[in-house]
Amino acid sequence: MNSAPITTWEGAEAYFTFADKPAVLMLIAALGVIVGAYTLVSMIRHENACYNYVKKKS
Amino acid sequence: MTETTVDVAAKLEALEKSLSLAHTLNAEIFYWWCTALMVAIHAGFLAYEMGASRSKNALASGIKNLLAFAFLIPAFYFVGWWIYLAFPTGLTISEAASAGLPWSQNMGPNVADQASGIFYAAFTLFAATTASIMSGACIERIRLSGFTILAVICGAFVWNLGAAWGWHPQGWLVTSFGFHDVAAAGAVHMIAGFFTLGVLLNLGPRIGRYSADGKVNEITGHSMPMSLIGLMLIVMGFFGFLGGCIIYTAEGWTTIYNTPANLSAFGFNTLMSVGGGMIGAYLVTRDPFWMMSGALIGVIASGSGLDLYYPGLAFLNSFAAGCVIPKLNDIVIRKFKIDDAVGAIAVHGFTGIWGILAVGVLASGYPNMEGPAISFTGQFASMVVYAVLGFVPGYAASYVLKAFGLLRASPDAELVGLDKTEVPAMAYPESHIPAFAQNEPHVSPAE
Repeated sequence: MNSAPITTWEGAEAYFTFADKPAVLMLIAALGVIVGAYTLVSMIRHENACYNYVKKKS
Repeated sequence: MTETTVDVAAKLEALEKSLSLAHTLNAEIFYWWCTALMVAIHAGFLAYEMGASRSKNALASGIKNLLAFAFLIPAFYFVGWWIYLAFPTGLTISEAASAGLPWSQNMGPNVADQASGIFYAAFTLFAATTASIMSGACIERIRLSGFTILAVICGAFVWNLGAAWGWHPQGWLVTSFGFHDVAAAGAVHMIAGFFTLGVLLNLGPRIGRYSADGKVNEITGHSMPMSLIGLMLIVMGFFGFLGGCIIYTAEGWTTIYNTPANLSAFGFNTLMSVGGGMIGAYLVTRDPFWMMSGALIGVIASGSGLDLYYPGLAFLNSFAAGCVIPKLNDIVIRKFKIDDAVGAIAVHGFTGIWGILAVGVLASGYPNMEGPAISFTGQFASMVVYAVLGFVPGYAASYVLKAFGLLRASPDAELVGLDKTEVPAMAYPESHIPAFAQNEPHVSPAE
């Protein structure tokens, strides 16, 4: 995968991967948000399962 | 002769370029280490809150701190930095905001931009600090998920909006009221304290904190020494925090409002404030927990005018706050029956008010680069704005979480202990007395 936005360091500015492809950066940012949201959902499910278990045991 | 002139001109140009590069590198290095020092604040909060929890909740309290730290980093990257750049004039988006969008060319490695990343890093640590202020108040009964959502709202949406308004050279509180809050006693501490107040009203007290007849029952943490070390780490981290509050420019140091200042001024007043707050808190409580909280009270109480005060005045101001704030915490706990487990509302919220108003009383008349001079009325009006900005989102967000059952752990889990309920590890395995039965495997589905 060629993710380089530059072909030479001469005059280079933003040189991070996909810096010249805003749509890809937006997609990556969206995936980042989804990962965080998914972890929160997973946390909620874990808590609910634990609380139900404790309730049964008590 | 002509050649010599050309040589000198070339050398001068090279020298200027070299000086400019040295300045840029110095600024980067300075904020890099400020950011690193601020991590100590989070080590401090971690130890402080685990120590303030009963042993059955020690790890769950710690996980809460770790989650706030971890979630705030991407949240501030994806939205928080943009909000700070976008809204200095109120709720209209400024042109500078585009540099803070996560797909901007400034938001990643860039040869031509050696400022955005390092300032994003420092501000992210401010954000995580703001969210962590709420953390201790909620220990031993808040759901980790609910807390994480609240931490992200507080740290990546609310405090930075307040900072854009009043901790920014073009902030409307600065240009309209002459607001001065050099070390963010308002933008960070007061907003976090009032956000916490809103959350605690919906969260409610820990089981057993108040008897049916209204009597207050002490719930002591399992390790006061751990809490004290944690608080001292926070004080250490404050030096990174306060370093991050001063701007390194080619012409010298300035405050975030572009007024002249220097680290020497911060050195005088930070230490004198720490001493004043600790002595004041000792005088009225004799309690080491409050002595160390007194150090925080001291820095916050003089924080808004850290660049301006005569050090003796900062000492006295912080001493007075150290005497008064523990008493205000008593009122929160005993009169209003708000179970603030670590005194965050008083230490951060009320002391934030103190710090903002103290500048209006003790340092009125100092000129600003933009807008009117510092005044009591300007400080008071800005304080009211911050109180509302902190409280309303905290109350509203926690109300919604409560409605969906996401705010508070179940009563059974709270009684058994959050560690036993949901953490696949034990804080003190050798001394652990299982809540259900000897040798029973841990209950967490995470295993």
